[in-house]
Amino acid sequence: MSVAELKERHVAAMETVNSLRERLKQKRLSLLDTDVAGYARLQGRTPVSFGPTDLVCCRTLQGHTGKVYSLDWTPEKNRIVSASQDGRLIVWNALTSQKTHTIKLPCAWVMTCAFSPTGQSVACGGLDSVCSIFNLNSPMDKDVDLPVSRMLSGHKGYVSSCQYVPDEDTHLITSSGDHTCILWDITTGLRTSVFGGEFQSGHTADVLSVSINGSNSRMFVSGSCDATARLWDTRVASRAVRTFHGHEGDVNTVRFFPDGNRFGTGSDDGTCRLFDIRTGHQLQVYYQQHGDNDVPHVTSIVFSISGRLLFAGYSNGDCYVWDTLLAKVVLNLGSLQNSHEARISCLGLSADGSALCTGSSDTNLKIWAFGGHRRVI
Amino acid sequence: MPPFETSDADYVAEFSFAVEYSGPPVTYNLPCAVPIKVERIPVAAAAAQVSLSDKLSLPVVQPLLAPDPRSKKFSKELKTLGSDSSTLVSPTTVIAFDRNNESGRDCKELELVSEATVSPTSVIAFEEGNTSNRGYFRSGELSSSRALEFSNGHYASGELCDIANSSREFGFSSISHEHSPELLGGAGISSTIEFSDSFDKSLGSSLASRVSCSQKESLDTNNDLSQADWVSTESVSSFDYPSSQVSSMKIVDGNNESKCDLIRTPVVTFRDFESVDAFDEEYTQDASEKRMPQVKGKKGSCYRCFMGNRFTEKEVCIVCDAKYCSNCVLRAMGSMPEGRKCVTCIGFPIDESKRGSLGKCSRMLKRLLNDLEVRQIMRTEKLCEANQLPPEYICVNAQPLSHEELIILQTCSNPPEKLKPGKYWYDKVSGLWGKEGQKPSKIISPHLNVGGPIKPDASNGNTQVFINGREITKVELRMLQLSGVQCAGNPHFWVHDDGSYQEEGQKNTRGYLWGKAGTKLVCALLSLPVPSKFSNSCGEQGSNIVNRTVPDYLQQRILQKLLLIGYNGSGTSTIFKQAKILYNEVPFSAEERENIKLKIQSNVYGYLGILLEGREIFEEEELIELKKKHSSRIIDPSGNTGNNDDKTIYSVGPRLKAFSDWLLKTMVSGNLETIFPAGTREYAPLVEELWNDPAIQATYNRRSELEMLPTVASYFLERAITVLRTDYEPSNLDILNAEGVTSLNGLACVDFSFPQSAPDADIDAADQHDSLLRYQLIRLHARGMGENCKWLEMFEDVGMVIFCVALSDYDQFSVDGNGSITNKMVQSRQLFEFIVNHSTFDQMDFLLILNKFDLFEEKVELVPLTQCDWFHDFHPVLGRHHSNSNSNSNSINNSPSLGHLASHYIAVKFKRLYSSLTGRKLYVSLVKGLEPDTVDAALKYAREILKWDEERANFSLSEYSIYSTEVSSSQ
Repeated sequence: MSVAELKERHVAAMETVNSLRERLKQKRLSLLDTDVAGYARLQGRTPVSFGPTDLVCCRTLQGHTGKVYSLDWTPEKNRIVSASQDGRLIVWNALTSQKTHTIKLPCAWVMTCAFSPTGQSVACGGLDSVCSIFNLNSPMDKDVDLPVSRMLSGHKGYVSSCQYVPDEDTHLITSSGDHTCILWDITTGLRTSVFGGEFQSGHTADVLSVSINGSNSRMFVSGSCDATARLWDTRVASRAVRTFHGHEGDVNTVRFFPDGNRFGTGSDDGTCRLFDIRTGHQLQVYYQQHGDNDVPHVTSIVFSISGRLLFAGYSNGDCYVWDTLLAKVVLNLGSLQNSHEARISCLGLSADGSALCTGSSDTNLKIWAFGGHRRVI
Repeated sequence: MPPFETSDADYVAEFSFAVEYSGPPVTYNLPCAVPIKVERIPVAAAAAQVSLSDKLSLPVVQPLLAPDPRSKKFSKELKTLGSDSSTLVSPTTVIAFDRNNESGRDCKELELVSEATVSPTSVIAFEEGNTSNRGYFRSGELSSSRALEFSNGHYASGELCDIANSSREFGFSSISHEHSPELLGGAGISSTIEFSDSFDKSLGSSLASRVSCSQKESLDTNNDLSQADWVSTESVSSFDYPSSQVSSMKIVDGNNESKCDLIRTPVVTFRDFESVDAFDEEYTQDASEKRMPQVKGKKGSCYRCFMGNRFTEKEVCIVCDAKYCSNCVLRAMGSMPEGRKCVTCIGFPIDESKRGSLGKCSRMLKRLLNDLEVRQIMRTEKLCEANQLPPEYICVNAQPLSHEELIILQTCSNPPEKLKPGKYWYDKVSGLWGKEGQKPSKIISPHLNVGGPIKPDASNGNTQVFINGREITKVELRMLQLSGVQCAGNPHFWVHDDGSYQEEGQKNTRGYLWGKAGTKLVCALLSLPVPSKFSNSCGEQGSNIVNRTVPDYLQQRILQKLLLIGYNGSGTSTIFKQAKILYNEVPFSAEERENIKLKIQSNVYGYLGILLEGREIFEEEELIELKKKHSSRIIDPSGNTGNNDDKTIYSVGPRLKAFSDWLLKTMVSGNLETIFPAGTREYAPLVEELWNDPAIQATYNRRSELEMLPTVASYFLERAITVLRTDYEPSNLDILNAEGVTSLNGLACVDFSFPQSAPDADIDAADQHDSLLRYQLIRLHARGMGENCKWLEMFEDVGMVIFCVALSDYDQFSVDGNGSITNKMVQSRQLFEFIVNHSTFDQMDFLLILNKFDLFEEKVELVPLTQCDWFHDFHPVLGRHHSNSNSNSNSINNSPSLGHLASHYIAVKFKRLYSSLTGRKLYVSLVKGLEPDTVDAALKYAREILKWDEERANFSLSEYSIYSTEVSSSQ
């Protein structure tokens, strides 16, 4: 078969795929009679209202000298790890707002960090394409620097995101610029499975984010530059369980809904979307109209513990609090008192849902807590 | 509902978040704002700078006694400030609060100085100062920074749940640390101010006083209020600012002790008018205060909660001397990014008298925080930049140090220990170091270029004996005499760092000062310094420069980052490796070499595999050919030799055949890299046999037909047998040639510093400075640098981008992202445009490296440059117009080769492209990646550009041309 012939067939096949996809989309639209907000309005729900003291900044964590790129909480003990442009990981005690560890990284270009479920170790990854694990209990050398306890190397592109499998200190899922996600066994340092890649049906562009289902840790979603999010089963590496189309730009961030049956995405197209993993439907689009043509990208999202609120950071410095039921912005953290002076780059919710940590380009992290008479939602 | 569960019982109460007020209803009125009438705001008039003198009297508000705290009577009075502290009156200062803690007074008075000027950019400065005027200074700085912010119409917010407000910009609100939500009834918890140019929002300023930490206590004090004497005043300043009401209260509580004074920090909260709606229109103040037993005027209570006495353990701010009790210290100092400083003091230099206690932890902190946290705090306290010794505080030989000099002094191999601010003398020849007017205290590294020349009277000696131009002290003379040096006739000695001394003007060394064992004893007796054991000779020191450890904050300052980018195959990796080999004493560690070895070996197996694949193809072709011939031979029997067994020149024996099949199979399955490092030993003999096989050699001779085989493969295949031995040690050239060694995954970086150009020449100031500078070459893979590249912004702090283009790419084609076949030079150009246009590299200098000039020179003779569409208008002028081209560029000599002409043409193409994109100048350098000299020259050129960038401001336009020729000639 000649090259030209092959190309022809490829083009034809692509056309078929696209038309099928279009039909699928039409079918979905016809089946989906309403979205969450429409239904909630019908039910007479009203948006959550925020008083001025309901969400207050109660700690500022100072210590980084560069932009904060990523943060993660421990499930217990209220510690936070943050990664910054200055090439350091800092482990904070969120209660005293003091640092407990500063880790100077061998490769300064770190993009992501994660706390292990037991709080014993932290992981980070970045442009060096390696996911490095630091054991916080290992003795420090005289420079108070922690040695790398494990290097997970195998990615062929930058490590964009990493997350420990809940309740397991030994497994970790990373996403990478090489279009794959990898499930690692930390004890051996080897890849357990590779999701996507050249010969498999996976992402066709850089994967930017992963999120593991909290209630069923076998399932995780990944968001990618190919404008899709994919749902994976860790037992089936060869192909994605489901692909979620809808975004019109890179999917920068994905986050599972607390109940594990839905997940949210944030994208360069300025929208956050809520998808249902059982039906594959897109449940809701969260989009705030801006006056000018510049659509701010969504950089990071996180759900509140009940899922009623969606915190979303935007590239223009806003950080909206969405009411997920009514798709209304109820608060803008970016304009709140004592807010960051630069844009909010990463968000994280403590395990009990009572505090939100934001990392910003102004090198600080801030902890926000539900104050006053407001209960945690 | 305490949302933020604390695991530590200690913190439960301390760190609870804002809680709804659940106490009894308040009986007093809550503070609220009074609207400003915009018309009545006077226009700002530039006030002449008031010269400060001790006698300066400033109008202040005189506190009036008010019988009832709820009275709304305000009296306006002015009082002269009788304190000895003077206040800086700047036109932008609206309200300045001073708290003067004067130890000489019986009672502590709270003085409110309210200066209202009337510029719309109002600034509030709180001054918290001691009797010294140091505090005022600082607040002057603060206020100016705040003025900027407010004029932008920012919302500044007073803060209530205040633990975390640490940013300096919100400094004023963080001084007003404590605003009890309890007392404000929850309704006014958020107090937001808007400072807008027009002041159309009414501003009310209420001076709310401190509220104690615990609610109970504040209620207690409320009960006391009736008994308390209240002083409530409202001041309208002399510059009449009608609606700004500022009150100060002084509460003298007499019901407890006979002489008891209540101290309170002035706290001002500006409220947005809307948010005050809920409040009564009345202007009240609520107060709760701490009583402080009078201990002879000595303050002893916590600066924040006003509890405790001077015997309670407290932590002291290393900047402003504020003292906090254990309950308050964490709130007042926040996360202590610079050690024990109040959040408002972060970024300010420390009190020099406290330098000695840096990094020494108190028991209180140890109790409050865990070991790791304390360690981090102490470490940052010692190492952070703001806490370092300011260089101008150190005078060496009557010359204050510059920043670089201090760095040199502190990072030398034998630095003066525990450097304190002061005046020192330093003898550069011998390394003697001492306080001005005193005998030497230490021998530090010699030949450091710090300070001025030494003065004869530096150590205030009167012996008329001189060492290196310094009149020595009696003690030193005694030492010299005791160690047997002839000192008769007031000689002038010349003492070197190794202790050898000679008389001035004479050549022969008279002896060694430290040679004798007795000398050291004498020195110890006279408490004179002796050279330390580690004092290095000059030569050693030079090599130490690279290895010595530099504190982090310095590292950031002196590290210049160079970003090396290029399209695939442009030779960035070669340049990177070359830089490693050039500037690092040990370019590759043993581990790296081992990895490189494995990489090279598996590469060679890969090349072999390609060869074997080619062999199969060739064999097949040959067989078909043979068959054709065979069949033709049947028709025409006068054909070739009898070749019945299908053997061609490309056929191999069965054993090798099996090996090659296996190798190909492994390659197809992609397992080559996992199998081969281990299998090397086993297969080495086979490879040797294979390589020597005529079939492979025949294939190798047709290697140009194998597209997959990279050009560099021949270099390694010819050495295949050596390379594949287990004891193979890759040479530097091997490493340079090897593919995929730098990094598999896109990013690699190397730190280096340029070796000093002339080792035996005098080290002048510039060189000293250079030796500190370190460079980091970061090599990025072009892969994945597409439209959506999100991580390029991580490189916004690089000093320069070095873009690498392979000249020889002009006739190469490859498949680009869209699947179409494009010229590689054009793809390079596209990447170049993308990088130049990227917002991260806006205003950054670019250096274009035209790499692979050696290959290009050969190629351009054979393949016309016009092969690449971009270069369609290249019409080299050869022969007749020699002189023309000569005058244009001086680096081309009389007969420019086609290669030179073509490379210059390409350089101009890129320069034009660059200036059309940015309007700036592109620096270009021609490089042959495999030749160290050219890479060295290119990187030194990069250094010159960076230096020039720093110095550009100092040069006028006329000097520009001179300088730029220097740069190009140094290339």
